[in-house]
Amino acid sequence: MLEVEGLEVAYGDLQVVWGVSFRVDRDSIVAILGPNGAGKTTTLLAVMGLLPAKAGSVRFEGEELIGLPTHQIVDRGVVMIPEERAAFQSLTVAENLEVGAYTPRARAEYEETLAEVYEIFPRLAERRKQSAATLSGGERQMLAIGKALMARPRLLILDEPSLGLAPIVVEDIFGVIRRIRDRGVSVLMVEQHVEMALEVADHAYILEMGAIVAQGTGMELEADPRVQEAYLSL
Amino acid sequence: MSQLIAQSIVSGVLLGGVYGLVALGLALSFGVLRVLNVAHGELLMLGGYLAFFAFREWGLDPFVSLPLVFVVMFGFGVLLYLCLFRFVTRTETHTRIKNSLLVSFGLALVLQALAVRFFTADERTISTAYSSEAFTIWSIRVPMVRLAGLVVAIVAAFVLEWVLHRTRFGKALRATSEDWTRAALTGIDVRRIYQIAFAVSAALAAIAGSMVSLGYSVSPSIGLGWTLKALIVVVLAGLGSMRGIVVAGVALGLVESLSSVWIGGQYREVTALVLFLIVLSFRPLGFFGRAAGA
Amino acid sequence: MRERAAWMGLLLLGAMVAVGLSVGNQHFLTLTIQTMILATLATSWNILGGFAGQISLGHSAFFGLGALITRELWLGGQAFPLAVMTAVIVTALAAFVVGIPMLRFRDIYFAIGTLALGVAVYITAGNLWPGISSLPAEVLRSYDFTGPYFFALGALVAAVCVSVWLERSRLGLGMMTVREDEEAAKATGVDVFSHKLAAFVISAAVATLAGSAFAYFSVSYYPNFAFSVIWTFEAVLVVFIGGIGTLAGPLLGSIFFILGRDLMPTDVDEFQVVFFGLLFIVVVLLFPGGLSQAAGRLLGRAGERSTATDRPTAARGRS
Ligand SMILES: Nc1ncnc2c1ncn2[C@@H]1O[C@H](COP(=O)(O)OP(=O)(O)OP(=O)(O)O)[C@@H](O)[C@H]1O
Ligand SMILES: [Mg+2]
Repeated sequence: MLEVEGLEVAYGDLQVVWGVSFRVDRDSIVAILGPNGAGKTTTLLAVMGLLPAKAGSVRFEGEELIGLPTHQIVDRGVVMIPEERAAFQSLTVAENLEVGAYTPRARAEYEETLAEVYEIFPRLAERRKQSAATLSGGERQMLAIGKALMARPRLLILDEPSLGLAPIVVEDIFGVIRRIRDRGVSVLMVEQHVEMALEVADHAYILEMGAIVAQGTGMELEADPRVQEAYLSL
Repeated sequence: MSQLIAQSIVSGVLLGGVYGLVALGLALSFGVLRVLNVAHGELLMLGGYLAFFAFREWGLDPFVSLPLVFVVMFGFGVLLYLCLFRFVTRTETHTRIKNSLLVSFGLALVLQALAVRFFTADERTISTAYSSEAFTIWSIRVPMVRLAGLVVAIVAAFVLEWVLHRTRFGKALRATSEDWTRAALTGIDVRRIYQIAFAVSAALAAIAGSMVSLGYSVSPSIGLGWTLKALIVVVLAGLGSMRGIVVAGVALGLVESLSSVWIGGQYREVTALVLFLIVLSFRPLGFFGRAAGA
Repeated sequence: MRERAAWMGLLLLGAMVAVGLSVGNQHFLTLTIQTMILATLATSWNILGGFAGQISLGHSAFFGLGALITRELWLGGQAFPLAVMTAVIVTALAAFVVGIPMLRFRDIYFAIGTLALGVAVYITAGNLWPGISSLPAEVLRSYDFTGPYFFALGALVAAVCVSVWLERSRLGLGMMTVREDEEAAKATGVDVFSHKLAAFVISAAVATLAGSAFAYFSVSYYPNFAFSVIWTFEAVLVVFIGGIGTLAGPLLGSIFFILGRDLMPTDVDEFQVVFFGLLFIVVVLLFPGGLSQAAGRLLGRAGERSTATDRPTAARGRS
């Protein structure tokens, strides 16, 4: 469904992503793991058209995404939840969900999607009139996911969804990610919680210094001694 | 004496309404695009001339020409965005504000020079049949054409607030002003939002210009003065609410007219500027505490 | 390397001086003096705006104050050099006092704040000194361009020397660190505020010299004209067109501006403003290095420094 090939990204003269390739198959959860500063966020931003790619291609359902403006990529069904507080603080919960469905495609199905989101996150329904700034960390992440779902994604990209959340809340969030996949939305996520990510992921990639250094199914990587040493055996 | 004070309070409030109206547009472009357009006053000036010539050449009443002025200057705003400010908004926020200041400063010089060339340096005022009409309460004169400026400001503020809070577009606009990257990831066409917000900002300046050429006067050199007024008002009110901006405009008008009673007319501008510096010194890092329209 | 360009600019001016004096062409002399006054003012602005990265829009206040004090003292009977010295000291003190509150504002808030200050001072000056200031008959009888000429040249040389010194000194280096990144400067132990204040005061003192030259040169003008925002605008325009943050930029920009304005058709005054306004916009958007960078490239040198004002940045918005 998503095929990234030989992606290279630079900030000015400073190149940080060096020929990264990976793929996300339909109805699967794919994780990209790696240390801080490896270039994970940079890769995702380039996929979303927020950073220019120096080289490489990003194809979604066969269509080249590089060169498309971000809002059109979202309209194609690729929706990303950026790191930290992805909801708009100056809007209420309901307003966040409303602008979440901004693309014409999403707007057409606004009512149904909204009902679905409120069903997945009843808490959001309770707080719909509240300003997003008053939500707790976990609620905020729920709102971020709910808002992303409003855009009717076919591929949902999450950048460190567990960042700064309490362990129980992280469990919840991963549970939600599974449910989302079961509803037919493929998931690509970047995570630092390696153990938990490998558990839910069908396939995972390890990104170090801007390059993919290992990949495999969650179980394969869990068994990989290098991965165990670097990420699991703390 | 109290008669004089009462009269200047009324004049101050009426003029302050126009200050608020000018500031609405500035707050919009600043709040949404993070672009500081110091040519805002020149856009007001152009709007004023547009209304003036529409009246003189085609006999269009300034209230009839108001929609025309709005539409034409909206178009001009789109043009300015596409030719200039689009390039400014490509950079990150910090650079963006600095470059927008410089670019719009160049633009202000150009627009002013062109106005002198094509409209001459003369002061112009629209004098309609009703220009001298006024009503009197407790022997205080309230000129109709100046009252109109305040009314237009209030209406504009309410319409803007309605759009910002009640329409999907307005919500997207608030989202964009909070964080354009996240807005883009939400599926919002940020460039389009920028373009429209800038165009509306220009059109609002022009509407204010209409009111200025009706109740007061326009000349090519008035731009900088009006830009400063708008800046003062935005600093006073913050970018928080449109109503707040009109209120701050009225407050500024009041302070100015009272200071001209007590200190002397030649220092009314200075008082406003000093007041501005004092307020600014309480917010040395600026007024992005809250996003526009929040 | 880039000093060579600055000295070339000075040399060019020196040549203009020599030619002007030997030919005795009044028009050419006037142009040269105007160029030197503007170049001095622009160089002073560049110390604050280019070296320390603080975009001030109230610079005319110091130019005006310099002109006012020099003129009043000089026409009041003081020796001219003494009048100039007094003006420099008083203006520097004023800058010190005003700089402390003003420099708490950062970035554009500093720009807006100084603009407000400049306008307030301009209006006040107009209120306090409404009458025109003309050279008295006895001064006028012996008036020729030689005095102003050499004074303006001296002022410009002084301004360039101060800039050269700053470029090489720790103080100037600290200013540039502040320009590039205040937080980083702070982290490396640079006292950000005092470096800004030093730039502000030095810049004001040098602007005073430009004002003094103007007061010496002008036969008659309204005192508040020297406070007019136009002076700030011209200085900013010239610095950007020439190349902000460089030594040669203000000089090249001034020569280009004054000569260019003179060569343009005079029947349409506004054309000049439109031309320079547009050129300024183009420079800010497309050639942040200005003319001096272009000249440097022509002379086969790699681009000089990039300015603090523009740099391609990632689309990663942080607000
Ligand atoms: N806007 C930027 N300009 C310049 N360099 C940047 C920018 N953003 C990130 N970098 C650099 O690019 C590299 C990769 O950063 P990136 O944010 O992609 O890492 P990451 O893998 O997401 O790390 P983390 O786990 O900390 O989020 C880092 O070395 C970082 O310093
Ligand atoms: Mg990251």
